[in-house]
Amino acid sequence: MPVVCLGLSHSNAPVEVRERLAFAARDLPDAVASLSSQQGISEAVIVSTCNRIEIYAAGDSPSPAVESWLRLRFQLDGDLPFFRHTDEDAASHLFAVVSGLDSMVLGETEIFGQVKDAYSTAHSSGTTGRLLNKLFQHSFRVGKMVRNSTDIQRGSTSVGSVAVELAEKIFGDLKETRVMLLGAGDMSRRCAQSLQSRGASAIVVSNRSYDRAVELAAEMSGRAILFDAWPAEVAETDVIISSTAAPHTVIHPDLILPALRRRRGRPLFIIDIAVPRDVDPAVNEIPGVYLYDIDALESIAGETRARREQEIVRCLAIIKDQVRSLPLFQPAPDGSPSPIHRPA
Amino acid sequence: MSPDRAALFTATGFFLAGFGYTVRSLSKGKPTATWPAFLLLLAGFSCQCAFLLWRGRDLGRCPITTPFELLTFVSWAMVLLYFLTGTAYRLSLLGAFTAPLAFVLQGTALLKPETAAVPSRSRPGFWPEMHATLSLIAYGAFALACVAGILYLIQDRLLKRHRGMQVVRHLPPVHHLSQAVHRLILIGTIILSSGILAAYQMPNRPPVGKLAFVWAIWGIYAAILAYDHWRGMSPRKAAWAASLGFLLPIISLWVVVRR
Repeated sequence: MPVVCLGLSHSNAPVEVRERLAFAARDLPDAVASLSSQQGISEAVIVSTCNRIEIYAAGDSPSPAVESWLRLRFQLDGDLPFFRHTDEDAASHLFAVVSGLDSMVLGETEIFGQVKDAYSTAHSSGTTGRLLNKLFQHSFRVGKMVRNSTDIQRGSTSVGSVAVELAEKIFGDLKETRVMLLGAGDMSRRCAQSLQSRGASAIVVSNRSYDRAVELAAEMSGRAILFDAWPAEVAETDVIISSTAAPHTVIHPDLILPALRRRRGRPLFIIDIAVPRDVDPAVNEIPGVYLYDIDALESIAGETRARREQEIVRCLAIIKDQVRSLPLFQPAPDGSPSPIHRPA
Repeated sequence: MSPDRAALFTATGFFLAGFGYTVRSLSKGKPTATWPAFLLLLAGFSCQCAFLLWRGRDLGRCPITTPFELLTFVSWAMVLLYFLTGTAYRLSLLGAFTAPLAFVLQGTALLKPETAAVPSRSRPGFWPEMHATLSLIAYGAFALACVAGILYLIQDRLLKRHRGMQVVRHLPPVHHLSQAVHRLILIGTIILSSGILAAYQMPNRPPVGKLAFVWAIWGIYAAILAYDHWRGMSPRKAAWAASLGFLLPIISLWVVVRR
């Protein structure tokens, strides 16, 4: 009874195609039940996320049955860029997906939970059997193994997450960290939200347009101040995120130094995501002040991405070993075919 | 080999293994703050306790009578203070760097020829023992402040230069390190003050030169605390002071060990 994986993902289909085939979470139980009732299919799991729609099915002739079901359900005609994997290849693909190797952000962890949810939905709908149960349960073990024994998920890959990681390496716990936004740009807002998600509490927004500062402060449950008032707040601030549209630098050593004595040795982290830059590079020479501009943050994120790329070979070797040792593909001791090659 | 020396050898082996484990984890970019590192340090500490217990029982007093014992006692005090302060601040890597320092101190102790524990005919008395013991525990705190200071300087430099994120990830946060430096100097100075007070209670005062040296050590650390309190010392200066300040206790121990 062969196992097939048929689907499309961000790597072979644009979002306009993926959104046509997406399954809403509330429709999944009915959809997977409908799929498994098709002739030629005896087990099925549907994984539907914003980046992929994948159908895993086992049966006498699952591949054509899945495709015709999809065409009928979504009224598709013409060629669609479906990929197809069978048996060992399907297992390898699932293990790679669960390990984050096929994700847009290499090594991301969200996909693990999404596949687990998809399997759980199918299991509770009664559409999984001996083959897919074993395959998916093993895939979760492989996912954990790959993540624990390689560096595929280590480090931060976006500017926001690098900023959070650095803040944690400067202050430790971010719960008592106070953040000030200079300028009300979208990127600084996202950066501040990342810090907030890790516990940063007090947010102060300062912008040339006071109305915009008030608006953003309200959105982030913070406090707005006039743009001229920001230097007076430095002594009480731990992280400054600057993204003004000023054509020249606005943060200079002489504005920071007076506040340092009142900080009693507490460090100051300045994130400059403006282009042209808002912060005079000489600020980084002040003891206890750590200045990162957009290039520095991007470079750290880029290093992490490159390191993750290098880990792919090790991850694939683990997956290959695990597929080879999977009992589904092993012939029985008496020489009879492996479970996956036995007739239904 | 006597059982106490065997215990010391074993402790030294555990500290070396702990250090090796950390270096290996760092080079592979893996977390260092793990149970194996902690357990290796704990195992080393247990062996140190066994050594001091056996030795103390044989001597009938606190085992700080020979250079061999002195170095081991300082190493023990340092590891003890790590357990009391390091874990509280989650500075697990501090433990990893405590291990090599403990290894060096004990390795030096083991290089000294073995001296049998001979029970002293006359006990030195309560105050002399308190003076020596408290001073050595204070040295342990200063040693740990030195380790925290060095880690601070490394982490500060890497963060300032935007380099070595692989290493930065595994070192404790700079703010925690600067707090640890400050608190360990404070703890060490308070304990050393008690040690000096104990010296003035001794029936026979220690030689003037020796007392002057202890006062000099106390003065250095007290000056760091006073400067920080009144003028606000930058964490980088405090880290340098803690790292270089430990040279004086080392010289003092070296003078004693050379005897």
